Amino acid sequence: MRNFIERPRYSCALGGALATVSALPGAIPIMHAASGCAGNFAWAASGGTGLQIGGHCGGLSVPSSNVQESEVVFGGAERLREQIENTFEVMDGKLYVVLTGCVTEMIGDDMRAVIGEVTSPERPVIGAETAGFKGNSYFGYDAVLKCLFRDFVEKSGAKVKNKVNLWGIAPMLDVFWRGNIEVLCGLLTRLGLDVNAFFGERDSLDRLRTSSSAELNIVVSDAYGVEAARLFEEEHGTPFITVPLPIGPSGTDAFLRKVGEALSIKDSVVSGIIEKENETYYRYLDPLTDPYNDFDMQRYAVVIGDCNYSYGLTKFLADDLGWIPELAVCTDEPKEELAEVVAGRFATLESGLRPSFVFETDGSEIIRHLSERWPSSRGERYYHAFSPAFVVGSSLDRELAASIGAGHLSVSFPIVNRAVLDRSYAGYRGGLHLVEDLLGAIVAGR
Amino acid sequence: MSYFDEKEPPKREDRLQACIAHHGTICGLANRKNCKCMNDGDRLFTQGSICQLLPALAMMDSFADSAILLHGAVGCGSCAHAQNAVTKAGNAARGRPAKDTLWLSTALDETDVISGGEVKLGAAIREIDSRYRPGDLFVVVTCAPALTGDDVDGVIRNIQPQVSARLHAVYCQGFKTKIWATAYDSVYHPLGRDLLGLDPEEDEPVFTGDELADIKDEYRRKHAVNVMTVSSMGRVDELELQRILSSFNLTANFFPLFARPEEMYRVTQAAVSISTCPTHDDYLLDHLKEKYGIPCIISTMPIGIENTGQWIRDLATFFGLEAQAERFIEQETAELKSALKQFEPAFSGKRAFVSAGEIRSFVTAGLLIELGFEIAGIRSFHHDEYADAEYRKLAAKTDQDYVVNIANAQPFEEANLLRKLKPDIFLGHWNGNSTAAKLGVPASVIYNTGLNFIGYKGVFEIARRLYKQLTNTAYNRKLSVHVRLPYAESWYGEDAFKYLRQAGGEASA
Ligand code: SF4
Repeated sequence: MRNFIERPRYSCALGGALATVSALPGAIPIMHAASGCAGNFAWAASGGTGLQIGGHCGGLSVPSSNVQESEVVFGGAERLREQIENTFEVMDGKLYVVLTGCVTEMIGDDMRAVIGEVTSPERPVIGAETAGFKGNSYFGYDAVLKCLFRDFVEKSGAKVKNKVNLWGIAPMLDVFWRGNIEVLCGLLTRLGLDVNAFFGERDSLDRLRTSSSAELNIVVSDAYGVEAARLFEEEHGTPFITVPLPIGPSGTDAFLRKVGEALSIKDSVVSGIIEKENETYYRYLDPLTDPYNDFDMQRYAVVIGDCNYSYGLTKFLADDLGWIPELAVCTDEPKEELAEVVAGRFATLESGLRPSFVFETDGSEIIRHLSERWPSSRGERYYHAFSPAFVVGSSLDRELAASIGAGHLSVSFPIVNRAVLDRSYAGYRGGLHLVEDLLGAIVAGR
Repeated sequence: MSYFDEKEPPKREDRLQACIAHHGTICGLANRKNCKCMNDGDRLFTQGSICQLLPALAMMDSFADSAILLHGAVGCGSCAHAQNAVTKAGNAARGRPAKDTLWLSTALDETDVISGGEVKLGAAIREIDSRYRPGDLFVVVTCAPALTGDDVDGVIRNIQPQVSARLHAVYCQGFKTKIWATAYDSVYHPLGRDLLGLDPEEDEPVFTGDELADIKDEYRRKHAVNVMTVSSMGRVDELELQRILSSFNLTANFFPLFARPEEMYRVTQAAVSISTCPTHDDYLLDHLKEKYGIPCIISTMPIGIENTGQWIRDLATFFGLEAQAERFIEQETAELKSALKQFEPAFSGKRAFVSAGEIRSFVTAGLLIELGFEIAGIRSFHHDEYADAEYRKLAAKTDQDYVVNIANAQPFEEANLLRKLKPDIFLGHWNGNSTAAKLGVPASVIYNTGLNFIGYKGVFEIARRLYKQLTNTAYNRKLSVHVRLPYAESWYGEDAFKYLRQAGGEASA
């Protein structure tokens, strides 16, 4: 049993839920929580999500009941009702999502009863239980998806051929969420699919409402949104597949093949696209060949990220870029079953490399894991060092990188030292971006 | 009995009758018959804000050799990601290693909330002590364990003998007070109780028989000034104050930001303490006065020409250096004013709207008037008795009257006001400029640790920034054409204070 987490690389359920609702076009979150939670998340974003804060209704503009001691004593349901009704007047929304926090769940406010009284077809109000003690931000992402699928998505009879939904990339927790969603939607569109990703540029609440007619749900994660996919299947009868976040050619080839198989798309169609995309990827890579070899840009690597990135990045480094990841760290704490799935992925790398893989929430412990994998110097004259090396992680891993003389790039949350708008690391394009950023970091001081 | 004998400090709505919901005008506020007291109003619609946790963490993050354990759900304290960056930069600016702040969370889950988190907390403290060896460990009490009734003081008392770190409880339950400035008291509480009294042996005055050394020591104490810092002040601001103090042969002991717990006792060995933000430090300064006999000066924030002058005068008067102060102020002001001349054409007659912490918003408005701006309106995060002097100074500074809105952020009121008032520039707190920006108003941050705001240099630097920001306003202007705020169009036609229930006394504007 762990008793604490060092500098947690996610927030609580409420934080993840708030980021998710804020990312949904047309939705207005209503926090039923103490007054500090909103600001706490805004500050977290300010230091963690590559200079993105809030979005349309985020930051300090989120309606929040700001419960105080009097609500703790007398209950906060009345305050919530008043807050929702006035939110209708002040805010411009098409869907209102109530999110509970620690205080209001502990005092036992009946959020659902209040929602029942105020919701209407013109102004739908739904709600999710997202108290911080229920789980971390990823739990909050899942909780919001579940409540959308249960209470907002309409039942539909027939499934529409080639219509799919895609999720598994949690807004803000994946700092590159916007770019990643765009790239994956673009690729699937090329397979002839009509893709609904809820949070993407072409998505809308209306499309979300009718998403139950999809014939397949694609969860781009072994971990995030999987429970919501189960609920979707129960409620609306759409089956789902889970695929790891595809970064670069090898991962994306596998991603497209798996989707093609699940939808029985003709192999020639899928292969055709894969071939074309690889051709483009390598055409871009072509002029890098001299520098890559002349500067000896191959690196040993430590990869640190969540369930999505720890594997996705490792696969790209090992199977595409030809680097040597020796240690991969997942900073989540998944349940046993899921932990096995994630760990199992690392035994499938095409290159045959088998990096050590650990679940570790505490950044300062990573050096210990590394020294278990790679013996440290005992002062021998000819020491085979862990060098040249590179750390791909969060900005909290800069101290680790510095301590082992490695290069560093922030890719996983928190990212305090980069500006991220539409950059993606998913897909073939994402692979190219990652090459640019990794090698760019190596030559930055040139 | 002193507040410091209690487990936690009182909330500021009780101790200072502080409030967060009010609207009036500058003249109305300045001419209140019954100053000090203003009953708090209420809002029937509210937006999220911050709690004590945020300002408290911003202070504690900066303490050297310490760790912070957030006792609560895993999200309380995520704000540390932003504050970490500020602290790293602050350490670098002070020539110290720019390391990540060490913060940890007990990450309470559902079971902990049902059965209580005391056992977990105790185990966490022991493990943190042995793994990281911090000199001090600040245990922060958030909402959840306060509701389960965890006895954090009790846990600390039991474990203290078993660990080497000094343990302190810091009470920051968000639901307990709507005045987040209570955070300062929450952090000062353990400092006053546990740390100021530490007088390490090696520093104890050793009787050397060396008269000269004794005289030197005495001289040092007589000229040492505790300059109370706030987390919005970067090193550049400290250096400006140091420059001012040096010209009076005084030395500055900056406290509490970036202090080393080991050395905090030094604050008990100064001639006087002076605050740089009146609403920030009275809790500790009263304690220093009562327990250690250190007098204090709480007057204004040294931002703007007039207020910087007043701050210097107040300090100089204490040391009997009035004449020297007048000469200094006259010379500094003359030099500054001639340097500011170049900006006059760009500023004169432009209308500015200010929104920030209580004192900072008013002194910044004063500074803007000095630069030639007109004030379109002011929003201030809270009100307490320390603002009264600032209301009066501002009301006397021009013959105009304008709206003053007391609000713990609440940008929906701000959006409504800005659409109607259409200021030429907006000056807002960190994370408080996006409303104005999305309405196309150029914005200038007035709380960004590391930028210069304080003293005469601060006036010039703010002027330089404003000049720059007014020179090209394309970013916000273009943004406002394409990006909308989340409010209903009909909201802009309503009274900005529609949802504010003013408490009796003050008539609405
Ligand atoms: S749960 Fe309470 S302590 Fe934590 S951020 Fe919210 S208001 Fe602050």
